[in-house]
Amino acid sequence: MLNPFSAKQRARLRAFFGKPANVILIVFCVVLTVLTLYPLILLFMETITIHAGKEARGAKLAAGDFSLYSLAKVFAEPKNAYSKLTFYEPLLNTLAVALTASLIAIVFGGMVAWLITRTNLKYKKFISTVFVFPYIMPAWTLATFWQTFFKNVNVGAGTSNGIMAAVFGIYMPEWFVYGYFPISLVLGLHYAPFAYILIGGILRNMDANLEEAATILKTPRWRVMLRITLPIVKPALLSTLLLVFASSMSAYSVPIFLGSPVRYYVLSTKMMSLINNYPGQGYIIAAVMIVFGVTILAINQRITGSRKSYTTVTGKSSQISLVNLRWLNRPLAVGLTIVMVMVAVVPLITFALESVIIKAGDYSLSNMTLDFWIGRNLDYLDQGDSTGILLSAKVLKALGFSLALAVTCALVAGTCGVLAGYGIVKRRGSRLSTLVSNLSFFPYLMPSLAFGAIYLAMSMRVPGLQGFAVLALIGSVKYLPFASRSGVNAMLQLSGEIEEAALIVGVPWYKRMLRIIFPIQKSSFLSGYLLPMVSCMRELSLFVLLVPTSNTLLTTMLMQYSEKGWAQFGNAINLLIIVVVLLVNFIVNKVTGASIDKGVGG
Amino acid sequence: MPEIILKNVTKRFGKSVAVDNLNLTIPTRSFITLLGPSGCGKTTTLRMIAGLETPTEGEIIIDGKTVFSSEKGVNVPPNKRDVGFLFQNYALWPHMTVYQNIAFGLENLKWDKKRIRQRIDELLAMLKIEEYEKRYPSELSGGQQQRVAIARTLAPNPKVLFMDEPLSNLDAKLRTEMRTELKRLHIDTDSTFVYVTHDQLEAMTLSTKVCLMEKGLLQQYASPLEMYLRPANLFVADFMGSPTMNFLKATAKKTGDCTCEVSFCGLTRTFTGSKPLGDVPEQVTLGVRPEFMTIRPDGPVKASVYSTLPAGMETTVKLRLGGEIVTSVIFGSVDYPIDSEVSLDFCGSDMLLYSTESGALIADGSL
Repeated sequence: MLNPFSAKQRARLRAFFGKPANVILIVFCVVLTVLTLYPLILLFMETITIHAGKEARGAKLAAGDFSLYSLAKVFAEPKNAYSKLTFYEPLLNTLAVALTASLIAIVFGGMVAWLITRTNLKYKKFISTVFVFPYIMPAWTLATFWQTFFKNVNVGAGTSNGIMAAVFGIYMPEWFVYGYFPISLVLGLHYAPFAYILIGGILRNMDANLEEAATILKTPRWRVMLRITLPIVKPALLSTLLLVFASSMSAYSVPIFLGSPVRYYVLSTKMMSLINNYPGQGYIIAAVMIVFGVTILAINQRITGSRKSYTTVTGKSSQISLVNLRWLNRPLAVGLTIVMVMVAVVPLITFALESVIIKAGDYSLSNMTLDFWIGRNLDYLDQGDSTGILLSAKVLKALGFSLALAVTCALVAGTCGVLAGYGIVKRRGSRLSTLVSNLSFFPYLMPSLAFGAIYLAMSMRVPGLQGFAVLALIGSVKYLPFASRSGVNAMLQLSGEIEEAALIVGVPWYKRMLRIIFPIQKSSFLSGYLLPMVSCMRELSLFVLLVPTSNTLLTTMLMQYSEKGWAQFGNAINLLIIVVVLLVNFIVNKVTGASIDKGVGG
Repeated sequence: MPEIILKNVTKRFGKSVAVDNLNLTIPTRSFITLLGPSGCGKTTTLRMIAGLETPTEGEIIIDGKTVFSSEKGVNVPPNKRDVGFLFQNYALWPHMTVYQNIAFGLENLKWDKKRIRQRIDELLAMLKIEEYEKRYPSELSGGQQQRVAIARTLAPNPKVLFMDEPLSNLDAKLRTEMRTELKRLHIDTDSTFVYVTHDQLEAMTLSTKVCLMEKGLLQQYASPLEMYLRPANLFVADFMGSPTMNFLKATAKKTGDCTCEVSFCGLTRTFTGSKPLGDVPEQVTLGVRPEFMTIRPDGPVKASVYSTLPAGMETTVKLRLGGEIVTSVIFGSVDYPIDSEVSLDFCGSDMLLYSTESGALIADGSL
């Protein structure tokens, strides 16, 4: 028989595949290509394909034909200002919102990071703990809070008054309640902890000697800050700016709550409204979002890539003398505490309150009931099965499904992250390792909603890829970047000798992983499991296109209820999700020491 | 018993060559040191013999068995090479106690519980760390961690023991102590040791043979004393010994079979080689160890004192001779006043004559 390889080549191959790191890298390389690049190609195909229904009738073509019809409609249809309303206006709105949000996040998050790491601010412990809350909670938490708090009969399709109007009699104007301003603010506040984690991490790890050296040379404080500290954190600032910009650009839940009531559209909400009737146009907007996302994050890679040497972790960061805030200390601390309470605690109280009142707008005790939580067989509980959410089979089923999905995604993504981290670090510097590293980061670049759209396109062509399977698959792929990040970080901290010491006495690979590598870096690796789990629990935009019915997941159920105006149920489910997410985070953190701010999320 | 043979071993990382066509035979029961400045390829060589790194080309034979051959496509994994490896940072598993650290490898070799217990007791006693058995690595001092690492490496009775700068993380006093222990251990375990270091003193004191490398190339492979007294080239001469050898620029003119006239620092003397000289280039470098450049009242050469560094047991004297600064080491503590005049002599038959251009040794002899 002919053998294509010579003895020498075969030996080389055997040696190559004898190393587990190589096997892992090859497998990841193939699988990730299939799971990210293939659907991407499919998506671009969909943009030039005519779909059955309104699209085919409008274009006067048969379904399945290739045509530039949708492209022309989205980018250049002057009739009824169609392109302007469908694409250009939402695009401008998106850019405006994303830019404002990222500036708010940077300024607020960066300021708090500096205050926590470099000053003698009071109540540091409380502020730093609560500050990451909005990031752990779902993105729409603040949005729904804003809506319930400020809505009134004068704005949007206002049918009832929120707390502000009902209790205090203050009717906020429309620009304040809906549209550009609240969307930007809410997104900014949501991503501020993200900026705080990134910038704070750098400030904490920065060698204090750098600043002390300047102080010794008699440089005044403000000059040290301006000339030493800021330039050193500049790459991190820029990187945060870009990441928050990209994340806000693809945000879906916030604009749907705070934008749609006044027909203020961004790309993501526009895409969602198009995808059912005009799939081609929806996919085009998804593609535009992906192009934006990839470009921004490619720029970010360049910045962080070339400036990496700035963030040297010496581990020797000695006790730095903290800036004395003097008379400013108390007002700042109190002010921040109030803001934190408003952002992290009051929403929860509001949801609780809103879930127990019978008639909207009336906050007297006589108008309150626990029926929406634990009622049974009550006709006015109109969400379908006449029971409170804690007893409703429908809700409990969705909760179970959501949890099962979160656990599955966490297990798959987390384990893949550990393996990818191992492979990437072991073969660091090789071309294969770089390729897999980039591929495993790629899903991060994809806006969730667009990624969902891609998988929707794929699930229609691949038999068996529906329901739980496709949700679990997309969740695992989408959260792989978090997990592989933690995996890589954990492996980088581990000297190669630790494994070699076991290798030399013949410990097989799986045992080295289970008995040596994983136990030593347990908490870092587990953070790689925690992040996908928590993100999955609160995820909406990634799954919204793929769920079989809107009752499948708690998050999509929440969307449906809020659309139908079942306010009490909506608020109750909202609270349920937040409590579950916080609980999972808390338990995992206490049991394993893993924590969400150890990884980098979006 | 094992003999290790390296044939034409080359390792390239991308375009840079870490080890270049290395040929080496490590005899049974020897204590070999791979010595050289950092980045010379010594650690890479060690890791290639152990199987932790794959050579680009060449052949490695341990105990008559080919463990690597690029030609035949053989690459035996490290655990099948029957070797022990002592890492620079000890690589103790932080989540296991001392006992577990040592036992883990043995369990893996399917030793039974009783035998493991016995072997560990033996090792703990040998390395005097009995009382730390239940401690974790983080609860031990550097020296104790080092001993645990040695115990773990010795546990399965490897025929060959590789050590990668094992003493570089210890303080000076502990290092001297561990050197003594390692030398004892070599005899007690009756195995072959291959040791990597950049410290020439460590290489001198420990090994039976030293392999000095620079930029991936083997410079000299000889016993420590031969390497010290007859360095094969200027690099070896410069690297070995502290304070370093004096190198005096000179011109030479051959006057006989074994003799030539050398002029340096305004002096002209006759160099008598221990064997016929062959071709002698005009530009030569005269190598004189500081201890062979003695200060004595009736010395024929005059020099002035530049600086004196008494260290108690011996004194290093920097002298100005001609236009150059030379070093002389004398026994005992003498403090010469700066700028005073002294008399020098070149004594013994360990003067070395090198070609300045190629750096190769022409001959050893006397002046």
